[in-house]
Amino acid sequence: MTKVAIIASNGGLFDAYKVFNIATASAATEAEVAIFFTFEGLNLIHKEAHAQLPLPAGKEQFAEGFKAANVPGIPQLVEMAQELGVKMIACQMTMDVMNLPKEAFIDGIDVGGAVTFLDFAKDANVTLSF
Amino acid sequence: MAANGIKANHTLDCKGLACPMPIVRTKKAMDQLDPGHVIEVEATDKGSLADIQGWAKNTGHHYLGTVHEGEVLKHYIRKASAGEAQPERKFPRIVSNEELEQVLASAGKPTILDVREPAEYAFSHIPGAKTIPLGELENRVGELSQEEDIYVVCRTGTRSDLACQLLESKGFARVHNVEPGMSGWAGASEREA
Repeated sequence: MTKVAIIASNGGLFDAYKVFNIATASAATEAEVAIFFTFEGLNLIHKEAHAQLPLPAGKEQFAEGFKAANVPGIPQLVEMAQELGVKMIACQMTMDVMNLPKEAFIDGIDVGGAVTFLDFAKDANVTLSF
Repeated sequence: MAANGIKANHTLDCKGLACPMPIVRTKKAMDQLDPGHVIEVEATDKGSLADIQGWAKNTGHHYLGTVHEGEVLKHYIRKASAGEAQPERKFPRIVSNEELEQVLASAGKPTILDVREPAEYAFSHIPGAKTIPLGELENRVGELSQEEDIYVVCRTGTRSDLACQLLESKGFARVHNVEPGMSGWAGASEREA
């Protein structure tokens, strides 16, 4: 089975689409997928933040484009990713630094350190960093 | 049943949806589909044309083809069955694709019976082949003559093997299973879609 390992370390709307589109498409193609959320990447699974991620400065006009292209919302993509069995790991170290408890994040995630992710990624066929 | 006449067991509406939704919806619908059945996926996402083919290749399902109807792309995919790769073969009279090509070149017009699903037949078949899907064969044996050689084809030789056994049990002595069948067919073919 193909393994896809993704590192999400940025917290904008564009970043979220890159991460979750690849993750859901891979999982739907029967790959085993894990995402490691670290630093600003934690926004992508933060309970409140993930539903209102910012567009990059100066790119606000693309909000219309997302609507016109009927692109699914990030909460919908996250839900789909979980349904398809995508494993989501929040970075413990970042959570400690930012003083964020596990309860601040969506349900169904794991919390772990770098080695938790490396253990999955060491024999991955595809490794991506966003 | 699709408007273009290609028969599918299930139609999935992905019109208006952007990547990765057509793929995610197709995967979910495919999980519910019976092996051997054909799904028709309607999409307006132009990227779905390449995506669906890549998806089928990676999941082992059989991409049959795509029909363009205005803005809508209709993709046809047949769900593979678990045992399709290594079937238990029993019917002893086997001819290769190449032998069938020789028969076609020398003996004129033998009866070729294509037992795949209508959607598979529509996208590519041997010219003049008669289409009776395996599931309908038992009720339609009357359309075939026991006095002629019948060459039975499917995609990989599995369904045609079952068809040969069925025909033999109905008294047909001159049936031949063509292996592997359309998946390796290099001779003439035609498309109706």
